[in-house]
Amino acid sequence: MIKLPSLTRRRFMIATGSTVAALGTASAWGQGRLKIDPNNFQPIPIAIPAFVPGTPADGQAGADIAGVITNNLRRSGLFAPIDPAAFIEHINNIDVAPQFASWKQINAQDLVTGRVTRQGDGRLKAEFRLWDVATGQQLTGQQYVTSPEYWRRIAHIISDQIYEKLTGESGYFDTRVVFIDESGAAERRVKKLSIMDQDGANVRYLTKGADLVLTPRFSPSTQEITYMEFGQGDPRVYLYNIETGQREIVGNFPGMSFAPRFSPDGQRIIMSLQQGGNANLFVMDLRSKSTTRLTDTPAIDTSPSYSPDGGRICFESDRGGRPQIYVMAAGGGAAQRISFDAADPGASYSTPVWSPRGDYIAFTKQGGGQFAIGIIKPDGTGERILTSGFHNEGPTFAPNGRVLMFFRDPGGNSGPSLYTVDISGRNEQRVPTPGFASDPAWSPLLS
Amino acid sequence: MTAKEIIRKLNERKGTTLSVVLHLLVFGYGLVTFSSRSVEAPQEDVIPVDISVDNTSQAAAGIKSGKKENPKPLAEKVAEAKPVDDVQGKVGKTDVVTSTSAPDPTPKPVEKPVEKKPDPKPEPKKEEPKKAEKKPDEKANDPIADALKADAKKTPPKQETKAAPPQPPKPKERTFDQSRIAALLDKRDPTHQAVTGTTLNSNAALGTPTGHASSNVATWAAAFQSAVRRCFNFPYNGLNADQFEADIDINLRPDGTVASEPVIVAVRGPSSTIAQALAENAKRAIVQCQAYAFLPKNQYESWKYIPMTFGLKDMM
Repeated sequence: MIKLPSLTRRRFMIATGSTVAALGTASAWGQGRLKIDPNNFQPIPIAIPAFVPGTPADGQAGADIAGVITNNLRRSGLFAPIDPAAFIEHINNIDVAPQFASWKQINAQDLVTGRVTRQGDGRLKAEFRLWDVATGQQLTGQQYVTSPEYWRRIAHIISDQIYEKLTGESGYFDTRVVFIDESGAAERRVKKLSIMDQDGANVRYLTKGADLVLTPRFSPSTQEITYMEFGQGDPRVYLYNIETGQREIVGNFPGMSFAPRFSPDGQRIIMSLQQGGNANLFVMDLRSKSTTRLTDTPAIDTSPSYSPDGGRICFESDRGGRPQIYVMAAGGGAAQRISFDAADPGASYSTPVWSPRGDYIAFTKQGGGQFAIGIIKPDGTGERILTSGFHNEGPTFAPNGRVLMFFRDPGGNSGPSLYTVDISGRNEQRVPTPGFASDPAWSPLLS
Repeated sequence: MTAKEIIRKLNERKGTTLSVVLHLLVFGYGLVTFSSRSVEAPQEDVIPVDISVDNTSQAAAGIKSGKKENPKPLAEKVAEAKPVDDVQGKVGKTDVVTSTSAPDPTPKPVEKPVEKKPDPKPEPKKEEPKKAEKKPDEKANDPIADALKADAKKTPPKQETKAAPPQPPKPKERTFDQSRIAALLDKRDPTHQAVTGTTLNSNAALGTPTGHASSNVATWAAAFQSAVRRCFNFPYNGLNADQFEADIDINLRPDGTVASEPVIVAVRGPSSTIAQALAENAKRAIVQCQAYAFLPKNQYESWKYIPMTFGLKDMM
């Protein structure tokens, strides 16, 4: 039974007073809340002048850091960095408030000021402030110290800070992408396991290209990658430590093992094992090396991906005829098909990836002679195609779940390239790579 | 009391009675006359409405690719020689073209000759450019065409020689003689007058001199809404944008500037950090777009406090 609070004199007065106040307010305004929605989305105009050099030698570093931040924010599609040629005020001291009128004049909504200083110990110190031009308030401000060679990371971290403050979402700039670098003629393509910053800088090759490598996947918690390699015998799943360069085979199974992916805690690897003409899903604990079978069907079950809470798995299976996406409990059991295309029953869905936010599953859809990248809610509703064309494949989510990277092959003598697209499908960007590139996998945030 | 007594008494009070009756009449007249004076209705505020004439005329014009409902009557009418003249005069250019197809028994759509008109070559074939080659044969074989021709032929020979008469010009116009474009123009005076400016609307300002449109809450609330919206733009690239909302209360000074920092009352949405960023962005928009000087000063009490809700509906 609910006990009602006794009506003391004080409570009565408060209640009466607030009612009267509310009535007074309502009567003055005389209508409900005034509702405002934006007309339509426009990227936010933001000014990012070169960081002020702390010493005369730091001029280049200051310009470079501002350049990386500008590039990151522009590529996100949410911001429109203003051309520095339009700047009226020259920032030369970040410890005093800027002249906001001059930034208003060029329609800057936000302003980033910063300073970079080489310290006595040889390390680099970078400071920045994010200003709201309209109110003149400082929204955030930080300083970072690092080795000079990591200046790009500092720029990415500052980009994330700005992005988070203005969008309310976590950033994704301080991340890396592992991918397959492809070179040489189409019939004798050399494929090297490679890693780079999310913006295409700092490319490093992890393998020499002697063996064919496919489907690299980042560990969510460590600097490790799992991938499939065609060695001398059957293709096998490997584990690779980026920092040490150490490589080990995952399990010792008869037949082919493929399509590996880490569990969200990084402790297990889920993959497909070939069994005759079929393939089933297995999970292996990396510490105990124990293996558990998850599916047992006369079909090809592959491309498993965990939900971020580790409770469920989405995967691809042709048990119903064509490859479709299914969702089941992480421990196995009954699977529910979530991909349907009423308009094109012949369409197939593959390479499902669960978003780190848990809200969507990305996929490759094949139908009508086109390969499309799309997203769908885990309950099978809300399918949305983000891009479509001759050949698009292999989506991977940025750690904030807002952006996808995939590869696109235009066909012919050309080769694949990497692209990003946000989950609204509005902003598609090519990711610069030294050569052809495929099979990207986005890392979690490094910091 | 007998009747006689009553009459006598009435006679005695005749003066009084007459007086009463007269007073009643005067009073009654006054009531009717004065009370029926017309009450002046307050003048209605005039809300200007844009009238687009273009749309109407386009709608009336129809679609080029639309189905011709009755192509034949045009041809038949023209075949009646004289009435054609009027039709041509009334409708102008287009009908000049239809009249050219008149001798032709084929129910050709009007547009095709128009399209082909600039082509100088089809002209020698005389009739419709598109099916011009076939037509001579058809005419020879078609008894109806022959019959029509028989009627029409009396005039055509003359038409070719004469330039001005009503029918002769038609075949010639098909040649698209550039020097004679002027002949195609309807030279009559326009039937409707161009009316603009004060003739169309004598109210220079919004509403009447005694109107209250500017102080109407709906009017200035909408103006305020659109003023704030100009500065409201939130960077969001997710889905389900319509689930995010932020309630912000604003206090304004009489001059339309923001009296104090807008207050975030509540935020709603699947992600609290995004909803909070939305609220901060909304506060910035309110400050950025001030001062709202258009708000009616005499209504300050009604807008010194404005509760608002910012959402992301229609973002996608």
